[in-house]
Amino acid sequence: MKRPGFWYQAREIARKDLIVEGRAGEALYITVPFGAVALMLIPLAVGTDKPLLATIGPGMYLAVSLLFGMLVAFRQTATDDASQRELLALLGTDPAAKFVGRAATSLLLMLVFSAVLVPVTILLYNPGRIEGWPWLILVIGLLASGLAMVGTLAGSVTAGLKTRSTLTPLLVAPLAMPMLLAAGQVLEALRDGSSILAWIVLLITTNLAMAAIGVATAEALEESSS
Amino acid sequence: MTRSRLVLPVLALVALGVGFAAAVGAPREATQGEFARIMFVHVPSAWLAFLAFGVTLLGGVMWLIRKNMLWDRIAASSAEVGVFFTGLALITGMIWGYPVWGTFWDWGDARMMSTAVMFFVYTGYLALRRSVPDPETRARRSAVLGIIAFVQVPLVYFSVTIVRTLHQGLTFTGPDSSIDEGFVGPLLINLAAFTLVYVAFTTYRTRLLKIEDDLEAEEAIADLELAGLGITEPRLGGAAVDG
Repeated sequence: MKRPGFWYQAREIARKDLIVEGRAGEALYITVPFGAVALMLIPLAVGTDKPLLATIGPGMYLAVSLLFGMLVAFRQTATDDASQRELLALLGTDPAAKFVGRAATSLLLMLVFSAVLVPVTILLYNPGRIEGWPWLILVIGLLASGLAMVGTLAGSVTAGLKTRSTLTPLLVAPLAMPMLLAAGQVLEALRDGSSILAWIVLLITTNLAMAAIGVATAEALEESSS
Repeated sequence: MTRSRLVLPVLALVALGVGFAAAVGAPREATQGEFARIMFVHVPSAWLAFLAFGVTLLGGVMWLIRKNMLWDRIAASSAEVGVFFTGLALITGMIWGYPVWGTFWDWGDARMMSTAVMFFVYTGYLALRRSVPDPETRARRSAVLGIIAFVQVPLVYFSVTIVRTLHQGLTFTGPDSSIDEGFVGPLLINLAAFTLVYVAFTTYRTRLLKIEDDLEAEEAIADLELAGLGITEPRLGGAAVDG
């Protein structure tokens, strides 16, 4: 029997993860509403100064996307137990395909998460019209994709550890900060009318670096968790 | 401790003394006055942090290729020393920043922010090491994280060229480098002294890690002899890798 190709394997892993997520609803039915609640908490903490909220709204959106995006990336439904890992290994699944498939699922869920939070932010913060907003769609996509890969990598590094739930955010948050910084600077640059090219390049470079590291180290991490 | 093992710390201490004398003897900076002397600790600390994390990357990659635990110990020791130097660079930068910039911390400064991020990334690396009890699993996962974490190093280094903020540009290699000749000598002396300190710290920490690993292995054998092969004693050293 011919061994399935790389992209077929990645697609099947992603499909399996989506089915599990569809059954559990961990990301979409628990994390997404929780993210919306977080956006509501901020005005309660900083006060109801409308001009201030309009100014900080887009930044709060990015911060909440990052913090709750982390929860989406290392959700429990994306965790393989020992028997699942052994079965995948026995089937000859390419670890790199597993990384790509898992990151793709996280990206899809994070895009949904980000899309849901946009109208919530607009309704709660009324940030007004941002010039060059189509660029923001690209930035949100790159942020989600980078976060999906960092989250998947960190999830693999901490797989099976009893400290996983506390350790993973500590690993992901600082690694994701350059992406948050770049996304925040794009917002500022769009407001000022200055160039956003350097920040887009930074986001793309970080994404490419994470993709390359994820694929290159997948096999080593697979051996470690089996 | 044998006499030969004392050579490195003694050399490092002497070099630090010479570095201190060179820093005190350097000319007074025209606008910043005595505060500029913090540079002789701040700049070498930052450079040594880069070097330390570079060695962590190298140690991780070499472990993945050779599977020799010495490389893992070197990577771990270097990361610990690198976190120390990063912390030192951050603290000295803040102490210098208050009188010169008027603030300990500037949120808009790309170098400060990226250095703080790098500090936390490698703190996470150390936290991961403490969380994995099995030496081989720990070495493998740390090696991978060491590779991921190193992405921060070029980001920190080039942050001053990507964004022009409060922090000055590259000291020697930048297009607008304007360091006075009177400062170059003392700075290089301190860089050499700090490098010796780094080598001494890393060497001793690597040896200490080897002793810890040997002790753990001995304890594991003793436990097996006591309880038999079918039973393993609950351990306080960390969580088991399962599931």
